Amino acid sequence: MGLEYIAVNIALWFGLYLIVTLSLNLEYGFGGIPNFGKAFAVLIGAFAVGGIINRLLIYFLGISGQIIEASSHSKTIVNSLIASNPVIGLSLLIGSILLAFIFGCLTGALFILPSAKLREDYLAITLLAISEVTYLICYYNIDLIGGYYGVSVPDVFAFVPGELRVFVFAITIIFTSFLIYLLLNKLLISPYGRLLKAIRENEDVVKAYGKNVMLIKIKTVSLGSGLAAIAGALYSLYSVNVISSSFTRVEWTFYPFLMILLGGAGNNKGIILGTLIFVVVKILLTMYKFEISSLLNLPFEAVWLEYIMFGVVMLIILFYRPEGILKETPIITKPIKEVVKRRELRKR
Amino acid sequence: MLVVEGALVYANLLVLLSIGLTLTYITTGVPNFAQGSFAIVGSYAALTFLRLFNLHPYLSIPLVFLVGALLGLLVYLLVLKPLIKREASVVILMIATLALDLILLGFLGAYSGFLEGITHRSAAKFIFTYLDFEVYRISAILFVSTFVILTLLLFLFILLYKTKFGIALRASMENPALAEIMGVNVEYTRLFSWILSGALAAVSGCLLPFRQEIVPGTGPIIIVSIFAASIVGGLGNIYGALLGGYVIGISESLVTYYLSSIFGARVLVYGKAFSLIVLIVTLLVAPKGLVSINWRKVLRRRVLRWA
Repeated sequence: MGLEYIAVNIALWFGLYLIVTLSLNLEYGFGGIPNFGKAFAVLIGAFAVGGIINRLLIYFLGISGQIIEASSHSKTIVNSLIASNPVIGLSLLIGSILLAFIFGCLTGALFILPSAKLREDYLAITLLAISEVTYLICYYNIDLIGGYYGVSVPDVFAFVPGELRVFVFAITIIFTSFLIYLLLNKLLISPYGRLLKAIRENEDVVKAYGKNVMLIKIKTVSLGSGLAAIAGALYSLYSVNVISSSFTRVEWTFYPFLMILLGGAGNNKGIILGTLIFVVVKILLTMYKFEISSLLNLPFEAVWLEYIMFGVVMLIILFYRPEGILKETPIITKPIKEVVKRRELRKR
Repeated sequence: MLVVEGALVYANLLVLLSIGLTLTYITTGVPNFAQGSFAIVGSYAALTFLRLFNLHPYLSIPLVFLVGALLGLLVYLLVLKPLIKREASVVILMIATLALDLILLGFLGAYSGFLEGITHRSAAKFIFTYLDFEVYRISAILFVSTFVILTLLLFLFILLYKTKFGIALRASMENPALAEIMGVNVEYTRLFSWILSGALAAVSGCLLPFRQEIVPGTGPIIIVSIFAASIVGGLGNIYGALLGGYVIGISESLVTYYLSSIFGARVLVYGKAFSLIVLIVTLLVAPKGLVSINWRKVLRRRVLRWA
């Protein structure tokens, strides 16, 4: 375990989590929608790869049998195809991302539909319940995405030599998250971003100005889910299998909320900072798990200590700095910039 | 018979949990996402009394009640009260209970490892069904859980309608600001609701291993059913919790059993999915729950349409 291994692991998880936290920041930080079911969207992204792409491959390759065995069979064939022809691998990667995004948008819209009109507490409960039940179904039903056994996924970078694979993946994921960051920054500076903030502050005022609040909420969660689904798809492609037990509420709903509140809700730069701090701490904890539990002489697994620690950190943030490290800043649009400039000129 | 029995026991236990959830929601305005883990704390307390002092879970109910009450007290004083004082929003309070759920999960997991170390018997997964006995060919858990519910209802009725504290409690539930003006200390009612909620959840958790296997992570799973029960009945109403608990508890068990007899045993995992569907239908049709529906009006409309 060299230093570069730790660094690349941090980069990989930073990119994955950044996609999720940016999408959650769109929903919660800007729109004020407490999406306690964020894990749902990530699971949907994994489903798009493990359940849909896999079935398409199995269908086109003419493999018969159960999804679990058939997927490992198709994986071997597709891997050898990709190894000889990188174009197949790259188109599979882009196809997976696009499919996850579209599928995520559609299910995200359905996901919030029953509760879009409700108050924030009912909304949070419903979203959490839907996410939890979907997780349970995907976990116990082995016909969907292999349940607790999981399904195999082709390696889209099978043409890259083994030791370089993780680096290529880290670069791909970081690049994708950077694109999403630019896209969201552009989007949130537009009138839509200001409208979202207005809804967060006072729904009734926005309604009085003739805006359809429910529709905007549905669109927002739809977009947010589509983006988070990309993270799920990338994670599945990286780990070359989909096991639904890796999409728990703690990992993909609670931790993203922790990163957002740590960095500063409603501030995309803060989100980057919060995600980076969290991921560095988490990766180091996972790396030195055995050292820590033997040092403290723990009579139990270190993961429980991790849960307690992150829970307490969350409470401390809520008590002492609920606005996060970087506070939310007003959106400065072009006209505002010009007004500020003109005023400064007049002063001179 | 066995299925109906199981459904009734589950419904009884769900009622205990949803009444607690509704109580704290009414007084504090936050849905407690850690209610499921509160119950599992009770389960582990019962397991500890069983393993260390050889105390049957039925006999340890009063002790578990105290453990739960202490948990509720600590949670309110250490987590909710400081946040309410800082005028935190509902979302912040909800995130705090979510964090609390994670902390409790961590503690339970660590404690199960610790308990295993002391007793040299598995504590990461346990069940009490082998401890149960039969009375008149009906398992005792049905009598015990029903007895607990009846005692609780009697206690709540006397407290809410026959004492001065109860009047203050009901007043601060209906309109906290007005109650405060009239000299009611809303602080006490909040504290009381958290203590009672924790105690009820723990008692429910003490009896839950008689019906299903318990692991440290059971709490975050049963929370779906608890929320469904509270919302179906009406989140702002204690009678709603009673009604919703029975509706969800009985239907979740019976409907999945009925479906499994048609489609095979694999359907059993969809019990929670059924609760979710009932929850969503309720939110679409009557967001304030069953108790908010004016049945007389609905019936009259139907009769008019008939005529």
